[in-house]
Amino acid sequence: MSKLLLIDDEKGIVRVLSISLKSDGYDVVTAYSGEEGLEVFQRESPDIVLTDIKMPGMDGLEVLKRVKDLNPDTEVIIITGHGDMGSAIEALQYGASDFVNKPVRDEVMAIALERAKEKLFMKRKLREYTEDLENMVRIATEEVRRKSEFQDKLITSSNDGIVATDEGGKIVIFNPGAQKIFGYSRLEVVRKTSITDLFPPEIGEEFKKALEHKKIFKGFDWKEVMITAKNGESVPTRFSGSLLYENDEAIGSVGFFQDLTEIQRLERELIESERLAAIGQTVAGLAHYIKNILSGLKGGAYVVKIGLDKDDTNKVRAGWQMVERNVGRVSELVLNLLTYSKERKPEYQVCLPNEIAEDVCVLMETKAEENNIEIIRNFDSSIGKVSLDPDTVHRTLLNLVSNAIDACIFDSNASKKWQVSITTALEDNGIIRLEVSDNGCGMNEDVKKNLFTSFFSTKGGKGTGLGLLVTRKLVGEHGGKINVTSQSGKGSTFVIRLPYSEVIH
Amino acid sequence: MGKKVLIVDDDPDIITFVVTVLEENGYISLMALNGEMGMTIIKAEKPDLIILDILMPKQSGIKMYRDLKSDESLKKIPVIILSGIAKRTFLRSQEALTAFGDEPVPEPDVYIEKPVEPEELAETIKNVIG
Repeated sequence: MSKLLLIDDEKGIVRVLSISLKSDGYDVVTAYSGEEGLEVFQRESPDIVLTDIKMPGMDGLEVLKRVKDLNPDTEVIIITGHGDMGSAIEALQYGASDFVNKPVRDEVMAIALERAKEKLFMKRKLREYTEDLENMVRIATEEVRRKSEFQDKLITSSNDGIVATDEGGKIVIFNPGAQKIFGYSRLEVVRKTSITDLFPPEIGEEFKKALEHKKIFKGFDWKEVMITAKNGESVPTRFSGSLLYENDEAIGSVGFFQDLTEIQRLERELIESERLAAIGQTVAGLAHYIKNILSGLKGGAYVVKIGLDKDDTNKVRAGWQMVERNVGRVSELVLNLLTYSKERKPEYQVCLPNEIAEDVCVLMETKAEENNIEIIRNFDSSIGKVSLDPDTVHRTLLNLVSNAIDACIFDSNASKKWQVSITTALEDNGIIRLEVSDNGCGMNEDVKKNLFTSFFSTKGGKGTGLGLLVTRKLVGEHGGKINVTSQSGKGSTFVIRLPYSEVIH
Repeated sequence: MGKKVLIVDDDPDIITFVVTVLEENGYISLMALNGEMGMTIIKAEKPDLIILDILMPKQSGIKMYRDLKSDESLKKIPVIILSGIAKRTFLRSQEALTAFGDEPVPEPDVYIEKPVEPEELAETIKNVIG
């Protein structure tokens, strides 16, 4: 129910009007002068004020101004006498919502009141809407702020180095992770440095090009790259990156870096400790092999002594050969153990790989012939002088060829025409392939699984189990790879791939 | 006529050594480089003693010893094991085979771990076959 204040100095009109208004459902308060009206207004806070314009003392226009000052939302309806049109218009200018002429007719009053109420309602709605809108804007702003802060924290707290640029390649984000990896502070880099100054050239240039052409760029998958830190040191990192798009348009780039220094150190340590543990196991597993060598040495000495006592040259020669052979086995064993237990860097030299392979073939020829095994050479004659570690090539080939010959000797299928072939070839990207293939006994799954395990040997008392371990280590240190295929009863193929550098004449 | 002794070992150095010891002590020596060859010679020559290595390619001494001791006509031939493998390892492997259902076999007459002194080997042979 709307509260209504009725002001008129004519008490009769007040009485009559208030009865009619009350019957229309209004809560009516009254006053008989402008001054009293204002008092009642302040006390009762009505929604609508109905005031006569002509009153002794404070007139209706003044009441209107004061009321509007106190509460601009109040609807004020002016009651005018005959010929007060000028005042009525003035009242409208001051913000009155309507005016009714005296004598006040009920229908006219009802319409004016309806309009006033409608205006009140609209105003209230408008205020509600405005407040709602402001509220929503405030909530949205807060949400945006929270999200941006969250993303900021995300970037800041990431252990990965995050480096983002604008569309011109200038760095705009450089998080603490990136500061740790690159060694620059944020202030030294942000908005000062370009991507091409900070990133390794192969990445920086690629990003720059992609940004300039604004074309779709598929980005970089995770890969290992070396970056150069502020102090000039190279830092191994894992990197991935991509362009940032807005409506299909490149607006910047982002790169993620993970520091691999610690991981690589741990990996090295692990390999080192694994190898040392393997040495311990190997030595224990070598007991029978060493005992065999000792037997050979002692036996040789004994045979030599008997030969000398009896002046039997043949005996002396036989004994001496035993001593020699076993001294050879001791040297080979010790050398293998040393090679396996120590980290070794390849010594790169200019050499002819085919010549080294030929040396190995010549060394093994006698043993092969004795056992009816043919050695086949498939050397690529286009291989010239290259730079690699000749010792690695020699020792790995010798080991593989010696294994291949043993595989033929151990083969129980006597109908076979045994062959061991040695292949040399060049592959793309500066890789030389050395292949040793035999048609001997081959390996079953169990043997294949244990192939590179310490002191695992299928050669009875003759094997140390070190051969392939050493071979793999040498190949690994040379940055190469070794692969095996084998079929039980059919033979085995070992392939070594070593990186080399061409020698420019 | 001297007694016949067969030496089975894949290492030609051991064979040369044992043969020399045998000759020095008046025995007739027979030799085989693996178990397969050894069994053929044993069946053909019926030696008085077998000196056997354990770790050999193709057919191991573990299996050959078992074959010998399971054969009625051969089980009486005394066997000296001469190996780089410790005796308990050899015995354990025989126990394992027995546990898997094979007939139990007696322990070898003598077990010598390599390396062996020539005098010790000669003495041992004399003790076994005279």
